[in-house]
Amino acid sequence: MISKDQLGYLAQISKIKLSEDEAKKFPEQLDKTIEYIDILEELVSGDSFVLDLQEIKFDELRDDVIRMSGGQRINKNLTKDGFLRGPKMK
Amino acid sequence: MPKLQDLQAHEVVQGIKEGLFTAEEYVSSVINRIEDVESKVRSFITLDSERALTSAKLIDRKFKEKEDIGQLGGVTVGIKDNISTKDIRTTCASKILEDYFPSYDATVIRHLKDNGAIILGKLNLDEFGMGSTTEYSRYHPTHNPWNLDYVPGGSSGGCGAAVATGECTVSLGSDTGGSIRCPASFCSVVGLKPTYGRISRYGLISYANSLEQIGPICRSVKDIVMILNIISGKDIHDNTSMSSSPITINNKIDKFNIAIIKELIDGSDLEVRKTVYSASEKFKEIGCICNEISIKNLHYALPSYYTLASAEASSNLARYDNIRYGFDLPIAEYKWDTYFSNVRKNFGEEVKRRILIGSYVLSSGYYSKYYLKARRLRSLLKLELLKLFKKYDLLIGPTMPILPFKFGEKIDDPIKMYLVDINTVLANLAGIPAITLPIGFSNGLPIGLQIMAAPFEEQKLIDVSNALENTINIQRRPSLI
Repeated sequence: MISKDQLGYLAQISKIKLSEDEAKKFPEQLDKTIEYIDILEELVSGDSFVLDLQEIKFDELRDDVIRMSGGQRINKNLTKDGFLRGPKMK
Repeated sequence: MPKLQDLQAHEVVQGIKEGLFTAEEYVSSVINRIEDVESKVRSFITLDSERALTSAKLIDRKFKEKEDIGQLGGVTVGIKDNISTKDIRTTCASKILEDYFPSYDATVIRHLKDNGAIILGKLNLDEFGMGSTTEYSRYHPTHNPWNLDYVPGGSSGGCGAAVATGECTVSLGSDTGGSIRCPASFCSVVGLKPTYGRISRYGLISYANSLEQIGPICRSVKDIVMILNIISGKDIHDNTSMSSSPITINNKIDKFNIAIIKELIDGSDLEVRKTVYSASEKFKEIGCICNEISIKNLHYALPSYYTLASAEASSNLARYDNIRYGFDLPIAEYKWDTYFSNVRKNFGEEVKRRILIGSYVLSSGYYSKYYLKARRLRSLLKLELLKLFKKYDLLIGPTMPILPFKFGEKIDDPIKMYLVDINTVLANLAGIPAITLPIGFSNGLPIGLQIMAAPFEEQKLIDVSNALENTINIQRRPSLI
């Protein structure tokens, strides 16, 4: 069972503030999900291995060149009162 | 002649090129249809009628001046609202992105526009594609056009419903664990999840990169081919994309060796099972061989899918820090300790649950227990499938194990909701192509057949789907009473 502390820790590392209602119902819901994925434990890993779906070679990467993009539009998403605002450092 | 808004994409282009109607007349008829049915179905998050009519007039002018109108000239396309469209609001059905206007078009959108397609608007989904009903959209749910009390499937529920009702000619969805196939099946239209890499994901707002693909949802197999050929191809902006041969519609098909996946059939409702078996009889009529087979590790597919998808989601959604896009808060709230978690509380419950599960399976001590095991299982499943494809051309089963269900039926039980995806996640884990075709109804609710093929063998999927579509004659348009 996920404890109140564990849920608090997961919320903290995920940077999400939970509402009272969520803090109450999430432990049971997350427990059920974890119980469900616990079936993976049965899997004997002996001869199995991780196989990437697709291997990308370094020399296949595109060249790192500067391209023009829609500056105005980006600014519209970035600015608040004409400034980019971030949280205050301690 | 059918009503203009009922035409398929290839008929629209032909009609305009032959001068039977103008692009403006066609687009206006689709907009009228939206005005008639949208209040009942609610497929759209953002509708862009004005720009669509301007683009239609441009197509008409090109036609008059004998210029090429493009392979999709005049075709209206609805886009799932997690695919970036330049200067059209793109929300992912999330409050976090409620005022986000992308500065660029996704590669698929660029291909569509270059070929004369008209972007009509942005379609509803479960927030960030996480869900199977559109009930997790932070704006409103979409209704199933075959029965408005039922869910349309998800996460691309707006795409399925809009195509079924004629609110657009075709749509583009994305499929991470069944998000194209589920709504296509529930709304009785055709949906294709292509091979991983066939279509560029550039501009698709990420949820679980290693699993998701963009794909078309249409009213016919022919339209699927038309859209697929235009949006496929290697893209410099997506290193997992690859070039592939164009697909054709063939009237003669090979005698395919088809395998019915026992586990997918056994876990399905009786009505679904019966309809799938009768469709497999049709395969025999068109000369194919059908056998039943078993996939050894299949019962591990869904738990590994949810492990991997949640892990990738927790990483991808870390970018929503409210600095580059988000809410404007009072200055007093910009405190380092609380700022990020305060703004991120605006994610919906399902998104929060998946981020938390993702953080859990990736945290130290659990990484090898869950995440690594899920990766290993994924490789085992892929190897098992590749072996099967040496013997069989196609694997089939029901797209959805159940019929569409009523709103609210599963929303409070995440596991019940996850189980809806049990038949579809296999194709995403293995990166193989899968199509869903409408094959019948039970109590007025649609049933779809899923057909899977080996990587980049979409031609086989299309050949057999086209043959089956010509054999099965089912009602295509909901009456929307």
